[in-house]
Amino acid sequence: MDAAPRLFAELPRDAELQVPVPFACGTPTYPESHDGSGPSVRALDSRRVTQCALSRVCGVCGAGLGRPLAFLGSQEEADQNAFHFPASHLECALGLRVALAGLATPVLGQPGPVDDWTLLTAAAFEFVRPGSTDLDPRPTFQPVQSRSTSAGRGPS
Amino acid sequence: MAISDVKEYTHLTEDEVEQIGRELDAIRAEVEESRGAADAAYINRLIKIQRALAAAGRVTLLAGTRSRRTRKPAWVAGAALLGLAKILENMEIGHNVMHGQWDWMNDPEIHSSNWEWDTAQPAEQWKHSHNYIHHQFTNVLGYDNDIGYGILRMAREQKWHPYYLGQPVYNSLLAALFQWGVALHDLDLERIRKGEKDPKEMKRQLRQILRKGRNQVLKDYVVYPALSGRHWRTTMTAAATANLARNLWSYVIIFCGHFPDGAMHFTEEELENETRAEWYLRQILGAANFEGGPLLHILSGNLGFQIEHHLFPDLPSNRYAEIAVRVRALCDKYDLPYTVGPLHRQYGQALRTIVKLSLPNHLTRSDEPQPPERPETADRPVRDRRRRSDDERPPRRVELGAWTRSPRERSHD
Repeated sequence: MDAAPRLFAELPRDAELQVPVPFACGTPTYPESHDGSGPSVRALDSRRVTQCALSRVCGVCGAGLGRPLAFLGSQEEADQNAFHFPASHLECALGLRVALAGLATPVLGQPGPVDDWTLLTAAAFEFVRPGSTDLDPRPTFQPVQSRSTSAGRGPS
Repeated sequence: MAISDVKEYTHLTEDEVEQIGRELDAIRAEVEESRGAADAAYINRLIKIQRALAAAGRVTLLAGTRSRRTRKPAWVAGAALLGLAKILENMEIGHNVMHGQWDWMNDPEIHSSNWEWDTAQPAEQWKHSHNYIHHQFTNVLGYDNDIGYGILRMAREQKWHPYYLGQPVYNSLLAALFQWGVALHDLDLERIRKGEKDPKEMKRQLRQILRKGRNQVLKDYVVYPALSGRHWRTTMTAAATANLARNLWSYVIIFCGHFPDGAMHFTEEELENETRAEWYLRQILGAANFEGGPLLHILSGNLGFQIEHHLFPDLPSNRYAEIAVRVRALCDKYDLPYTVGPLHRQYGQALRTIVKLSLPNHLTRSDEPQPPERPETADRPVRDRRRRSDDERPPRRVELGAWTRSPRERSHD
């Protein structure tokens, strides 16, 4: 457990986009670590994603998850019930949704800009790793027994 | 022995490996499809039994120690009941709940996010050191910190040092103090010693361990003994005996999972570009089962089905017995090794490895079958097998998951 959890307000900032960089994005890609590049909110770090899934820690702050679990993603991900960003605390996910609202560039490993971030809550999830022939080689988080959904750029 | 190419070791074609993956996917899908009320009843019943055992043990010690006539039998009964309760809580309940095996029930208490267990290691650190590090990098030298727990030399590929001459002694201490060894496991003392650990995280983890350890000590050695009045010493020694029994039992079970003859180690080459099916194979080759009746399996957290647990760590443990029949048949079909034996033999082999590897390799011989010769790697220098930080651990591209869940279970309405 090398990276200590951080409060949302203490997350590192993306030097380019000036938004918080969540735990799941926070390390360079192996094996090019320690190359001097700062954390970026654009891509997900696959190691951190797996760590979040197995260690049951929040994708935003890195601390242990509670209930309910929150899943932040695009409408397409919600429709497919398959999110790429790890499960998070509800407050963390709400904060990240506000911070990312209005960005006209792809972030959190999304293929394109997300106009309306969808936030879904659930009690459990399945960590679904891709098969060798899958087109998308990334694992997904598939909420189970979700309790409510809401969509929009941010809380009103 | 350490394997750098599972396919080559098993002499399987790529198509055969993929077919094994598909058959294991199907087993998983069937269990997920069929899990339901009977499984929920199982874990709820077990938690009730465990709590009743713990309460009975505490009451026996509180009430039975007041009379001279009943003091000794109360000590024996209290320690036994408490020890059983701790074993059940740690092995079949805590370990498996924290894997998320019961999250599908949507029970606010029996959930991986908030279960805290009756042992010194904080649950959060266990979920990192065990669920992530051990299950993600199973038996990969330099990556899986469970290989020797940082103090024992458990593979011939690990460099020998005179320190290891004391291995039988370290092993005995680890067994007796197992909960405290596990409590320090995620701290990664080796990386602290080398100055590679993030000081902020180290302090945070230390605070967690101190808080959890303090609460465990207070509960077992202060509060309950104090409630026993002037017979506090009887209650305290009974609690210490229960903790010792739990330590020894969990140590034996865990060491039987990966260190008997036949359970293989792997080099980091095996991790590179590993497919999901190859990951399945690594779990089968790297784990060892032991035989026994239902009670033995419950008391060992169903880790006698270690192979099945590693293939499907988040499926309910009460289903491993039925899964094992099918996994063994699959291994027979493809001539894959399926390591299994009685508990005493499996532990005896692990113990023999501990003693043997306390000596340099040239003084002992391996008890494992040798891997196929690989001329292209035979002359390579010894790899750096120090412990890795999270930043240095590679992602596994593809592996086991729940992609085969039924549409019903995928539904989130």
